[in-house]
Amino acid sequence: MAFKCPVCKKQWNFSLQVARHIFGTGDKPHRAWVESEGESYADLLVQQATSPGNASYETVAKLVEKAQSKL
Amino acid sequence: MTTTKKAQEATAKKGQEMTTFGLAKEKLTVLNTHVHNIDGVAKVTGRATYSFDTKLPGMLYGKILRSPHAHARIKNIDASKALALHGVKAVVTGKDTLGIKQGIWRRYQELCDEQILPVEKVRYIGEPVAAVAAATEEIAEAALDLIEVDYEVLPGVFEPMEAMKKDAPTIHEGVERNINVTRHIEWGDVESGFEEADYIREDNFFCGGQAHMCMETRAAVSSYTPEGKLTIYHSNQSAYYMQALMAGVLGIREGDIRVIAKYVGGGFGGKFELDGAIFCTAILTMKLFRPVKIVYTREEDFIATKRRTPMHYWVRTGIKKDGTFCAREARVVSNGGAYTGMGATALYLTGFFHSFPYVWPAYRYDGYRVYTNTLPSTSMRGFGAPQAMWCSEQQLEWMATDLGLDPIEMRRKNGHYAGYEVPGQAYIASCGLDEALTKTKEWIKAKGKLPANRAIGYSAAGFMSGGIFNWFDTPYSFSSAVVTINQDGTVILHIGATEIGQGSNTTMAIIAAETLGVKVEDITVHSGDTDHCPADLGAWGSRQTLMTGNATKRACEDAKRQILEFAYAKMGLNIVYDLDIKDRWVHIVARPERGMPWEELCKIATRGKDGQRIIGRGFYTPHRKGMISPAYSYMMQAVEVEIDKETGHIDLIDSLTAHDCGTPINHLGLIGQLEGAFSMAAGYGYLEYMPYEDGKLMNPNLVDYKMIRATEMPETPIAEIDTYEPEGPYGAKEAGEGLTNPTAAAIGNAIFHALGIQMKECPVRPHMIVQALKEKEEKDKAAKGAKKGK
Amino acid sequence: MEKRLITLIVNEQAYEIYVNPKTLLVEAIRDHVGLTGTKRGCETVSCGACTVLVNDMAVKSCSVLAVQCDGMKITTSEGLEVNGKLAPIQKAFLDNGSYQCGFCTSGMLMATSGLLKENKKPTKDQIKESIEGNICRCTGYNSIVRAVEAVARGEYKEGSV
Repeated sequence: MAFKCPVCKKQWNFSLQVARHIFGTGDKPHRAWVESEGESYADLLVQQATSPGNASYETVAKLVEKAQSKL
Repeated sequence: MTTTKKAQEATAKKGQEMTTFGLAKEKLTVLNTHVHNIDGVAKVTGRATYSFDTKLPGMLYGKILRSPHAHARIKNIDASKALALHGVKAVVTGKDTLGIKQGIWRRYQELCDEQILPVEKVRYIGEPVAAVAAATEEIAEAALDLIEVDYEVLPGVFEPMEAMKKDAPTIHEGVERNINVTRHIEWGDVESGFEEADYIREDNFFCGGQAHMCMETRAAVSSYTPEGKLTIYHSNQSAYYMQALMAGVLGIREGDIRVIAKYVGGGFGGKFELDGAIFCTAILTMKLFRPVKIVYTREEDFIATKRRTPMHYWVRTGIKKDGTFCAREARVVSNGGAYTGMGATALYLTGFFHSFPYVWPAYRYDGYRVYTNTLPSTSMRGFGAPQAMWCSEQQLEWMATDLGLDPIEMRRKNGHYAGYEVPGQAYIASCGLDEALTKTKEWIKAKGKLPANRAIGYSAAGFMSGGIFNWFDTPYSFSSAVVTINQDGTVILHIGATEIGQGSNTTMAIIAAETLGVKVEDITVHSGDTDHCPADLGAWGSRQTLMTGNATKRACEDAKRQILEFAYAKMGLNIVYDLDIKDRWVHIVARPERGMPWEELCKIATRGKDGQRIIGRGFYTPHRKGMISPAYSYMMQAVEVEIDKETGHIDLIDSLTAHDCGTPINHLGLIGQLEGAFSMAAGYGYLEYMPYEDGKLMNPNLVDYKMIRATEMPETPIAEIDTYEPEGPYGAKEAGEGLTNPTAAAIGNAIFHALGIQMKECPVRPHMIVQALKEKEEKDKAAKGAKKGK
Repeated sequence: MEKRLITLIVNEQAYEIYVNPKTLLVEAIRDHVGLTGTKRGCETVSCGACTVLVNDMAVKSCSVLAVQCDGMKITTSEGLEVNGKLAPIQKAFLDNGSYQCGFCTSGMLMATSGLLKENKKPTKDQIKESIEGNICRCTGYNSIVRAVEAVARGEYKEGSV
């Protein structure tokens, strides 16, 4: 099953990959989408920078999964 | 090595060199022979004139007023008293400029964040605030004291971890949490990888900054004349970059700017961005229509020229008990300082080279560059890889030791090989790592038992030969060359590559001589002048040998093709015979005794072309070569150290460098680069500390900033590893930066083997060793006590 | 401060110059005599790029005043060659690649020339000590040491040193 980026519609096999793409791009539209989903992009970024594991990506991955039905 | 690996290596073996024209070269006559640097006589006789030395008629002297505050709003600048001083011609501030925020990552506007003369606020101690032009340097200096700047001091933040906090001061408006840029690299399934590992280790490291410490400080002489032409003599690593960047900030055409960088006193990654010298002299000369010169003092060079990027590293690595690598996860928070500079690339490359030179089934890297109110950090020889190796090579050594494995064999087991593809990132076409490991092992064995307090440490590394990225957004080929053949057989080569001491002029002359079949002394090289030379991205990222070398080779092949037409016509050969040129002798390959002298052919060809000289053109831009580079060099660095346990003082006793740069071109140049890289990298490992307090550099001079001296250098024997890189000219790869990567880690590993302590921070200073020994002693005592208690 | 007229004999040529008493020798050589082979790399007498010979002794020319050298014989890197013939130390530098960017080179040449004037057969350690006060960021020093060793071994015949 493919997951699309809610912003630019690019596809990956896993929602976690879409989440990494969203952080990797870091441009205004992608950040705005994260914010519109009720999360702070900057907070997630700082969390990823300062704690082990992938919590921030997993948070965004879940948002991506939820958004699939709307796309 | 597996059978597949062996087969892949075989296909990438060194073979007969085929030129694009189809002439098989049996023997290279110029490459890798003992050739003097063609700029040598000028340099050893005091004739070489640097920007530092340049004087123009009517020239004025400039000085820069610098911010004493790490973070402040500029409310007002009153230069009236300075202007009243006899001899002062002008004072300029940010208000006298277009206020354009520039940066070298031109494709990404948000990363173009630096006005060299800021308009609204200053972000680091030492940032230019105003510049003066006066009749003498003394008057200019006196004028600085008369400029009154009204600052509104703002709270500053100096550590990236602090700068990311919610309540930290905002350094660049609109940049949340001061996070400048992030970079991510991932392949494989890291979580599964860790599940397969028998042994997992997690460590935190800190890699310090480092000053480029070029012997020639920043220097520029700019001259603007009434016809609207700007000429700039500037100490830089890329005349083209300066031309393009200055056009951008001045709002004039690139073609109306001439940048000259003929002799440059060192660059090391610090001189391919705009600096205060080039910018302020240009603004002043455009106001005054007189040449203006600015030369930085050594102190200014320390406090106000960008430095190597300090990085906080967190690494988690999982391996099997037989030493097979399973997974690695790394996170970097880098101290970006006040502006982006080249820090974004350093952030990416550190993450990439942190995987080098090994096959990782799963790898993940997240890098975060954070603004702080300190000196901006940027590229410096090694470009993030020295930091990467400091962490990786030490951690792997500790893991091998923990598991009782042979660290060299563990490296060999997981090492890169020709034919390997770093997933989604890079294709390795040539790789001498295996042999480098063997050479190191032999060297260590020959050493036998070492005296007490001495130990050997080593580190592997690999590096790029030029980058494939065009974040500079140039429309030009990455490298170009034009070669002109005179009627008497002498040759003129125009290249855009910059000679900064690494020997690129000589390397290109060697390639030209080899390709055309003439001698190095027949070639005159022109470089570092945007009026006369084609655009070239310049001397950074170890790109010139491969990229400009390819352009040079292609230009000479073009010229050779053209000129041989006349030889074929004149000699009227049977169609099965082909011609070549060697040692100025144009001859039939199958019957080398039959031919004509090169000089004679040049005369014939010139007449044949209606009196026009033969001109050849060549260029090179990498296409579809992965995400980083068309080719990679490989090396092993071993060092023998002696440590005084009481003082923590480190002595470098001996070393071995095993190095694969494909086909060596400039033999003397190669040795020079490797020995020089060692000295700089060793400095990074144990000497060159840059302490900051509240954004202020505490040792901005050569008394307190420790540079390695002649008496401290060990012998630096080199084992050259022979490989052939298909993408490089005659099979060549870089040799300028790679060796800056492993040496600090090698020293760290030597300390580990000598004393059993694990140094997480570089540079390692003596008191850190003493402290670590003390802690180890206490730990050992406690462990003993606990044992006894049982 | 009142300027003074002094004479510096640089590379066997007398130069009469008019200097402020606080002018350093390196400034006098570069700005007044106009020979820019001698460089400056610091303000703290730490780097050696300004090394010249004063009465055949290697001296950091940023550490002496021009007026202190009135009437003295000064040799700079420009003065090593004779009628276009390079001195042995210069030839040795070329053969050994003992320079890269070249900025420290004049200082290195003069520091080692000074050594060889005092001691025609220095040991490796003595050579290293003679350039301990000279910083080179490019070469790692070993090629410079090899050049001096070659001269000491007598590999170069003619020349001024």
